[in-house]
Amino acid sequence: MQQHVTLRLFRRGPAAEVTLTFLVLISIVLLFTDATWSKTNPVRLAISTSLYPFQRAVVFPRDMLTMFNEWANAAALIKSENEALQRQRIALSQVSANAALLSAENTQLRRLLGVLETAVDRPTVVVEVLYEPVNAFTRRIVFNKGSRAGIAQGMPVIDESGVVGQITRVTPMTSEAAMLTDEIVSIPVQVLRNGLRLIAFGSSAPGKVEVRYFSSDADIREGDQLVTSGVGGVFPAGLAVGRIDHVERNPASGFARAEAQPASHPERYRHFLVLQVPVGDGLTTLPSATATSSTEFAGATNKTK
Amino acid sequence: MPMAHAVGPESLEATMGAGYVWATMLGVWMLSLLPWRIWHAAPELLLVVITFWSIRDSRRVGMVVAFLFGLTLDVHDVGPLGLQALMFTLTVYAAQSMQRRVLRFDLIQQAIHLLPIFIGTKLVTVLIGSFLVSAWPGWSWLLCALLTAACWPFVSWLLLLPQHRLNDAEGGSA
Repeated sequence: MQQHVTLRLFRRGPAAEVTLTFLVLISIVLLFTDATWSKTNPVRLAISTSLYPFQRAVVFPRDMLTMFNEWANAAALIKSENEALQRQRIALSQVSANAALLSAENTQLRRLLGVLETAVDRPTVVVEVLYEPVNAFTRRIVFNKGSRAGIAQGMPVIDESGVVGQITRVTPMTSEAAMLTDEIVSIPVQVLRNGLRLIAFGSSAPGKVEVRYFSSDADIREGDQLVTSGVGGVFPAGLAVGRIDHVERNPASGFARAEAQPASHPERYRHFLVLQVPVGDGLTTLPSATATSSTEFAGATNKTK
Repeated sequence: MPMAHAVGPESLEATMGAGYVWATMLGVWMLSLLPWRIWHAAPELLLVVITFWSIRDSRRVGMVVAFLFGLTLDVHDVGPLGLQALMFTLTVYAAQSMQRRVLRFDLIQQAIHLLPIFIGTKLVTVLIGSFLVSAWPGWSWLLCALLTAACWPFVSWLLLLPQHRLNDAEGGSA
């Protein structure tokens, strides 16, 4: 344990101030390149890949406990799950009968109008939450699968009740998703009641989604359901996004904004679905996608005026 | 066995083995990968341990080590890359520049000396972070800095336990 202390008369190596300046400069360069870089920073990618075994190792006891718990309570779990599924099956059978009717009618009408059928089936990947990162500024979740499982930057993440978020960074073994309440995510939506097209952004209020840049006389009210509109091609049409619970009209600026409660519950479960939509070059970068979609939208509103 | 004590600041430093220093830092680093830090005011235990060794063993643990540990936490927390690295570097620089003074006080007085450092460096990172995302994260960071300083006496005492035992053993045999 104990060592001989050698006498040092002179300081060796660079002065502390030199090291400090050097390291502070590196930090600042990293901070600003990381904030502006559209692709995953190679430094981050390298560290993240080497961190993965340690991340798995520290959560290993938790995983074992969950596994043991599931194994021990298998019978009770299956019973309760089975009951829930039975209930769901009865409820869904009515919906599906109705949907089959509507679908047949819809195909007929589409044929009459000459509208092309759009493909709705998309390949998906089931992911599990690896951990929730600590960050005062953003809302993210890290999943246990990455580019090796076919996940790419920009793909939407959903759960059974609607849109959860969008993949922001991918490493070979993990992927990071921004929740739809995160400020960098923007989703093209429409009001289910009247088809009004809007863009939903993560709100500055925690746990909320907001729609903005629409004229203050637009027909939108509390209780309106927001679903994805399919505009932009990343989010398939018809996924639930949220329910409007507060509309703020500002007659002075002529614009209004509304706040919505997200439909999905990313904090409740461990498993989510990543939709493997084709993400082209123009759509992989989130900040630029946000910018283009909002300018396009602003352009669209200008044209309609 | 008589120990030859050197003259100079090194005589104040603990004479712990390199293995012990690295093991404690890696252990707390692994702990930091666990989700207890999800609470925004959770104390920065890793920073306490690194600062402790940067004062006690400044030849092994310096700003570069602190920077690298901070960078790994930045990646793990998927925050702005380099933010915690900057905080760790600044803290270690400030602590090392006060090294000789700090080591002459007891553990609680040391914590009081280090509190302004923890608050100041945390403030720098919070300001840069809020500039990058243009949102103010609230005041929980202040509580975090206070708790970090409050952890100092306990963590130091724990890390010094093997040395105390060694000293006791030596005192008993003499």
